[in-house]
Amino acid sequence: MTPAPELTAAGHLPRTVRWRGLAFALSGCTAAYLAGPFVLGTFGQQILSQAFFYAIVVVTVDLLWGHTGILTFGQSAFFGIGAYAIAITRAYYSSGIPVTALALIGAMVVAALVGIAVGWLSFWDRASPIYVAVVTLALPVVFTQVILSGHAFTGSSSGLPFPVPDISIEQWYWISGGLLLLIGAAAYVFVKSDAGRLLVAIRENEERCRYLGLKTSRIKTGLMAVCGAVAALAGACYAMFANVAAPAYGDFVFGTQLVVWTALGGRGTLIGPILGTVFINYVSAVLGGNFPFVWLLLVGLIFIVVVVYLPAGLAPPVFSGALRLGRIVADALGVARVRAVASEAPESIGRDRFSVVVRPEPAGTPVLHGGSQVALELRGVSKHYGSLRALEDVTFRAHRGEVVGIVGPNGAGKTTLLRCISDGRERSAGEVIINGARIGRLPPQDGVAFGLGRKFQAPSVFEALTVGDCLRVARSYRATPSFWRRSRALELPEAAQRTIEATGLAALIDEPAGTLPHGMKQALELAMVLALEPAVLLLDEPTAGLTSTERAAIGAVLTGLAQSHGLCILVIEHDLDFVRNISSRLVVLHLGRIVADGPVSQIVGSEVVRQVYVGGGTVT
Amino acid sequence: MTQFLDIVTFAGELFIVAIGLLLVFGILKIINLAHGAFLVVGSYATVVATRLNWDPWLALLVALAVGIALGALVERSVLRPIAARPLDTILATWGLNIVIVQLITLYFGRQMQFAKSAITGAVTLGGLTYSEYRLILLLIAVAVGAMVTVVMRTTQMGLIARAVIMNEELAQGLGINTRLVRFVTFCLGAGLASLAGALLTPLVSVHPLMGVPWLINAFMLVLVAGVSLGSLAVATLLLGGAQVLVSSYGNPVLGGLTIVILSVVILRFRTPA
Repeated sequence: MTPAPELTAAGHLPRTVRWRGLAFALSGCTAAYLAGPFVLGTFGQQILSQAFFYAIVVVTVDLLWGHTGILTFGQSAFFGIGAYAIAITRAYYSSGIPVTALALIGAMVVAALVGIAVGWLSFWDRASPIYVAVVTLALPVVFTQVILSGHAFTGSSSGLPFPVPDISIEQWYWISGGLLLLIGAAAYVFVKSDAGRLLVAIRENEERCRYLGLKTSRIKTGLMAVCGAVAALAGACYAMFANVAAPAYGDFVFGTQLVVWTALGGRGTLIGPILGTVFINYVSAVLGGNFPFVWLLLVGLIFIVVVVYLPAGLAPPVFSGALRLGRIVADALGVARVRAVASEAPESIGRDRFSVVVRPEPAGTPVLHGGSQVALELRGVSKHYGSLRALEDVTFRAHRGEVVGIVGPNGAGKTTLLRCISDGRERSAGEVIINGARIGRLPPQDGVAFGLGRKFQAPSVFEALTVGDCLRVARSYRATPSFWRRSRALELPEAAQRTIEATGLAALIDEPAGTLPHGMKQALELAMVLALEPAVLLLDEPTAGLTSTERAAIGAVLTGLAQSHGLCILVIEHDLDFVRNISSRLVVLHLGRIVADGPVSQIVGSEVVRQVYVGGGTVT
Repeated sequence: MTQFLDIVTFAGELFIVAIGLLLVFGILKIINLAHGAFLVVGSYATVVATRLNWDPWLALLVALAVGIALGALVERSVLRPIAARPLDTILATWGLNIVIVQLITLYFGRQMQFAKSAITGAVTLGGLTYSEYRLILLLIAVAVGAMVTVVMRTTQMGLIARAVIMNEELAQGLGINTRLVRFVTFCLGAGLASLAGALLTPLVSVHPLMGVPWLINAFMLVLVAGVSLGSLAVATLLLGGAQVLVSSYGNPVLGGLTIVILSVVILRFRTPA
């Protein structure tokens, strides 16, 4: 079974459909919301108010899971924290407005702290994405047990009733809906902003993000804290609406329900989960009263079908179906104007045309003098796997403006060497010094600050993002992205700009990176690394899969960079001709050791190299 | 001494619940959140057997068979299409959990159920009286663990399973039908969950939601243990033991959290292999 044809390779709707569907959905929702009290009785308003509060929490689930890929079962616990903070404050201390407001703020702060704790437990480097599911699964379990062990103080299993402010159902309808609109809109602006794009980048390829200098653990922890605070706010308001705080508000079942609603609506679309939550809760209150178990069974079955066959959720097919229907109706009525708008709108709204701007050279641009300054120094770098020695006592210096080719047969330790330079934790022994600073055992995201940039052997880009967005993410280390604005211009340093021009990527700036051919991905990743403005560039087979013209172009960019900016480049290549053309010096690795190091002309014809490649065996 | 027996028998219960989950985690590399529901199915199988006046020992076999059949159905219809999306299997198996629990609720209702126990009464060991059933359960847990270990270590099937655990792609390249291995493992995992449910029936109250706490504890233990049966045994003894001690000397409600909290902390500080 293949997903619906409207989906792109990454499982997302094409931009145009998404934007148009969103515009329709948003105006429809707002109209329906405003009309609500005139159509619905008190019962309907009450159900919708409840659904609106739930939907606020679902927005946080969609931010965490849908956009950032953090599967969380624990948002209910934050909701519960908010509910109990208000309930305990009003039941035992004071039900005055200032104290309640204070309790609200306090609840959000506590929830944020719990969010930070969850982040600390789950988002250490190299933690599997399952760990956060484990921790967030534990969170509501712990929450309910704590509430139950509070006995009379927390009301135990029957919940804690408390005096609530005098607010009518209709007023609650406006409050809950208004809060949902506000938070939904804020979330929407955020995910569309330059900073919001980082969330998708983390979901798509966290390792690449780290090597671009982004402290992903910190970003995810921050997001967890904010989402926790928002869920606590919803929980606090919900408790006042419901007159009681109950353990079920923060339990594991509610936590998983939030994920179910998000998946059904369409993860990563914001509007889908919101509508899904409101719809499911409304229907289950109307129908579920009579057949609660059948209804739950039905939701479970639909959930399985959606997860298996429609991983993008129900929102995308429903939206595109509605659009198609709208178009058919418009055709039938012969309304030319509507058609024109419907077919042209995506070109103007959806297309994200932005211009590439070459970043002017900053005043302090390093200029090469002399050419003998050491940019990179390795002292006794070793890497052991148990008794296997992948690298043994590798020591050499590379200077500014130098292009050093690292050659050697398969298994010589070339890629391991680059990894040991860029990730301090990988080294078993030895030191790496960049421009005079020891990088110690720091992880790759900190290595970027020293001026390191690494391109991986297999192209590593953000498949779901466009070429332009990939480059923007790469720039966010240098230029802090905005949380609400989406910039139109893409500012790139000259080197990155030259790379995308030379390889024809500039014309594909709006294409999703996942659809690019292999060679183009290579070029894109190189441009992303160059966008970091590194001082030491580590390249692992940068031109594999490129045509010879593209190779020559990239070679020219690289040598030009080394000469004009004093960049130090380490390049692993199997194509000896390419290496010969761009390198000034060769380092030959064999079985984890340096066996030769010198000018290209001297090394290429040497006996050592011949022996390493042809003769095999040990070289002494 | 009673406390010691409490600890080892509780560890035995945890072990027999978690072993199916561990097999599935090791070979299919997925977390099966329907494991708790399979356990509930096993418990209700014994309830049905009691109603039909069957022998309680026979009920265990029925539970095992029902679990295996259910596992076969689930693997074919739900897991196979999403084999390439491991994180989504967490969701799909949770959906299965909802469906199975709701089906049971629809048929049996939410109230507690009763099933006949194969063994009642107590034994006296050196002046100490202890539940005979709990001791038998511990022996069964040890026997199941030993059996799985022997199969994994000495048989061709076990060799293939170990190969799939280490490197599924390579195993596939060598002509091993990894699909079949996954299928058989999942059936076995579901069967063991169901058997565990049937075995636990005399000790716990049987109702549709009984599976969740067991599922959460087993899930934590498996993540702490990795894919080794030996580590699972150690983890159940240590963490289960801690839980028994906290419950008896501290607060029984918080005692229920011991495994969860300790596991999260262990996972945070353990250096990745």
